[in-house]
Amino acid sequence: MTDTRTVDESTTSIRTEAPAGFLGRMAGSPLLRLIARRVLIAIPLLFAISVLVFALLEAMPGDVAQQQAGMDATPEEVEAVRKRLGLDRPPVERYLSWLGGFVTGDLGRSSVSGQPVATLLGERMAVTMELVLLAFAVSLLIAVPVALLAARKPGGIFDRIVMVMSMTLLAVPNYVLALLLVLVFAVMLRTLPAIGYVPIDEGLWANLRSVILPVLALGVPIACFYTRFLRGDLVEQLNSADYIDTARAKGVAPWKILWSHAFRNSSFGLLTLVGLNIGGLVGGTIIIEQIFAMPGMGMMMLQGAMSRDVAVVQICVFIFAAVAVFANLFVDVMYAVLDPRIRYGSR
Amino acid sequence: MKRIRKGGRSATRLITSLAIVLGLGLSTAACTSDGGGTDGGSGSGEPQSGGDVTVLLDAGFAGGWATGLDPATSNTTGANLPQNSAIFGGLFTLEADADGSNARIEPNQAESYEWSEDGLTLTVTLRDGITFTDGTDMNAEAVVWNWIRLLNSGSTGAPRLQLDTTGEAPDLSDEFMDSLWAALPEDVDEATVMGHLAAIQATGDLTVQMKLLAVDGSLVNGFPASALNLIASPSAYAEAGGEEFSLMPVGAGPFIITSNSMSDRLELERNPDYFKDGLPYLDAINFQAVGGDQVAYQTLLAGQGDIIEGLSAVTLIQEAEGNPDVAVYPGVPTSPYVVQLNTRVPPFDDIKAREAIYYATDFSAINEGLFKGDGEMSQSFTASGGLFWNPEVEGYREYDLDKAKALVDEMGGLTVTLGTTDIVTARSVNTALQTQWKEAGIDVEITAQPLGDVINDFLGGQWQAMLQTAGAWDPSVGIGVGVRFGSTSPFSGAPLPAEEGGTTELDDLLAAAVSTIDPDERKMYYDEIAKFISDEAYAPFGMAFTPAQVVRQGVHGPGLDEPIPALAVNEGVLYDRVWVESD
Repeated sequence: MTDTRTVDESTTSIRTEAPAGFLGRMAGSPLLRLIARRVLIAIPLLFAISVLVFALLEAMPGDVAQQQAGMDATPEEVEAVRKRLGLDRPPVERYLSWLGGFVTGDLGRSSVSGQPVATLLGERMAVTMELVLLAFAVSLLIAVPVALLAARKPGGIFDRIVMVMSMTLLAVPNYVLALLLVLVFAVMLRTLPAIGYVPIDEGLWANLRSVILPVLALGVPIACFYTRFLRGDLVEQLNSADYIDTARAKGVAPWKILWSHAFRNSSFGLLTLVGLNIGGLVGGTIIIEQIFAMPGMGMMMLQGAMSRDVAVVQICVFIFAAVAVFANLFVDVMYAVLDPRIRYGSR
Repeated sequence: MKRIRKGGRSATRLITSLAIVLGLGLSTAACTSDGGGTDGGSGSGEPQSGGDVTVLLDAGFAGGWATGLDPATSNTTGANLPQNSAIFGGLFTLEADADGSNARIEPNQAESYEWSEDGLTLTVTLRDGITFTDGTDMNAEAVVWNWIRLLNSGSTGAPRLQLDTTGEAPDLSDEFMDSLWAALPEDVDEATVMGHLAAIQATGDLTVQMKLLAVDGSLVNGFPASALNLIASPSAYAEAGGEEFSLMPVGAGPFIITSNSMSDRLELERNPDYFKDGLPYLDAINFQAVGGDQVAYQTLLAGQGDIIEGLSAVTLIQEAEGNPDVAVYPGVPTSPYVVQLNTRVPPFDDIKAREAIYYATDFSAINEGLFKGDGEMSQSFTASGGLFWNPEVEGYREYDLDKAKALVDEMGGLTVTLGTTDIVTARSVNTALQTQWKEAGIDVEITAQPLGDVINDFLGGQWQAMLQTAGAWDPSVGIGVGVRFGSTSPFSGAPLPAEEGGTTELDDLLAAAVSTIDPDERKMYYDEIAKFISDEAYAPFGMAFTPAQVVRQGVHGPGLDEPIPALAVNEGVLYDRVWVESD
């Protein structure tokens, strides 16, 4: 608390020097300064990632031109493809050209289909975003109540069942889980479609039916992970934290202790996990979209990789990385929102 | 051709094959099989009109059409035979008797074809009265327009024809020339186009002539797998423009595209003005890309698909055979596995090393172990479904461990690097070969790489042994015997000629095999080629395994329950004659 007060004093002096009005107040906000600082760190990080992605694609073995020209192409045809793709130019020149285009909003064209990458992305990103957001929602909707219930009586029957089930499901790769879900809900019960995506403008229910299985395949393993983590943290807090003992001594109801005290503190750890998981979850769509024939970014990246469509792979990897970076930035900001000590740099 | 397909499928296979065992067990239980599966022969009565089907295609092969469906600009025409069959129909089709035998090229939208006496001019006559689905005539001028576009639009799938371009291009109407130039790339070489117009001419309203510099006995046989076979409407192109036409091309086939989500889903409805009375039987057909065999099979079982074209996972085929809800129709094989040996570098520049590999290789055991005996053994570059099949090559060195050991001892040991494309089946075959060869005292390192890297290895020329597939329905079409054994092919390990620019004896035989349009003469040459490759021990051949067509009960048609040999990899299905039993 002492540290916080000290910072408060210093920020007060800054506030008096800031320009008047809304913008001035915003500029003086510690939270905004923190966001600005993080964004400034993110920019060179994303730049480094873009260099890395380009270098990795460059270092990949195999001749992109030969692959695209086909196995029975003549050397002249291969050269023509090489020229068309700009592969006859030095790598640095190509990277700078790509970067210049990216900065100005020109993502280039797919070397396979010839379509603008931005157009392809626009069509696909909505599918992947829907999957990812729903998978997160599902994972949290499962994990939080189950973990709270399990932590209420550690070692009880429900807790044991949760632990065994979550460990089992965690051990199952999500593509196997996906196939099992298809087998049960599409093949045996015939209640949900095995493959395909229905856009939301063709009906909300039809859209939801088409994404339920892929969302479960993506979300359930994460839900298990969150459940185990949250349950463990809650039990630890309930068993050892002084403030819990104090609350109990005051006669606070067990459920209130669990929800208002223990869970509130544990939510910081959960938030960190969410941030760390976002990159993995977006990456997980590559396999899940393939299995469920969902026309999203994951499928686009996989098809791009198989056909050595550099422009497509490059932007997909970059976006996946950017999502991870900004997810962590979001977590940092959320920490600051939830805990003022972080906002003022005292923790 | 098969390698391209398999390479494209590798990611899928890696993912799904890991799940096959689990999925297989569960799906078997789920389907409560009574073991009453089907295998060939419809026995289902007369075809019926109506209904629709959804065809499930592997996203890594036929289910990918990222470069569109315009025959002149698509780079995946060879893989997209199902879609093309439905949209364009084709000038010629590969037909066979009901049991898959007697495969032959038959005119379809073409009425006939004829070679000149010197074999240098092919005249194709079209059927009268065929119209594109935009209502315009499919005539000789349209064919010329399509063929010239195909040869000049930059598609990597364009055929390489030795055209006689020395003549004069005829005076063509301004309207035709304007339409043609508008449909060609801006940087097209005008002189080349005029040369092509000299070689390819409409000699009547329904007749087209193609003049060649050299006899090409495999040209017509290659039509069904080539974009030459696919004739699109010039008027529709002019109206739609290149980009839109690539997405929604207009042909004169049995179906009309209603929706196209590239490399994802293609939806078509019946062409009411189709030139064959009473056809097509189906009201609609959809093509859906799916991520591999396991997903395709489960989608079929879930009722979201009716036909899987080319299921190749042996375990799934066997599971499907035991499932009463589906019918399995094994394909007629054309392309066997082969271990290419690079005679241009050690150790296989020594025939003893090559002979040791022949004697150490027991493909029959691999066929039993990995393919449950379903593969057909071959001693040359084609199998029973292919033209000019040669079941037994005289003097072929068969498995003989003692002889292999003796040769290895005589050489003082043998160390080999055996490569292949990174797919589950090929890797399994390689592992089995490694085991067999080690028994003969051969020290073997195996590698499996993505297709692009395998191509690079070929181009680098320093590879030693490579497991691939060889052959096609006509051995000189696609990645046939010439690509695997011709000295100028970058994918060959056969010896180089003594002088640069010269030819080897094998090159001369390969050239002779297409220098005649007489099938008997061609057969004679291919027998000689098979014997030559065997005598020189360039490459032991193995089993030919063709993917199966798996359909839900009640779906019938040529290429499904009436087998047609695969042109290269998968069987072609003639969708205008596919029909479904009504409930």
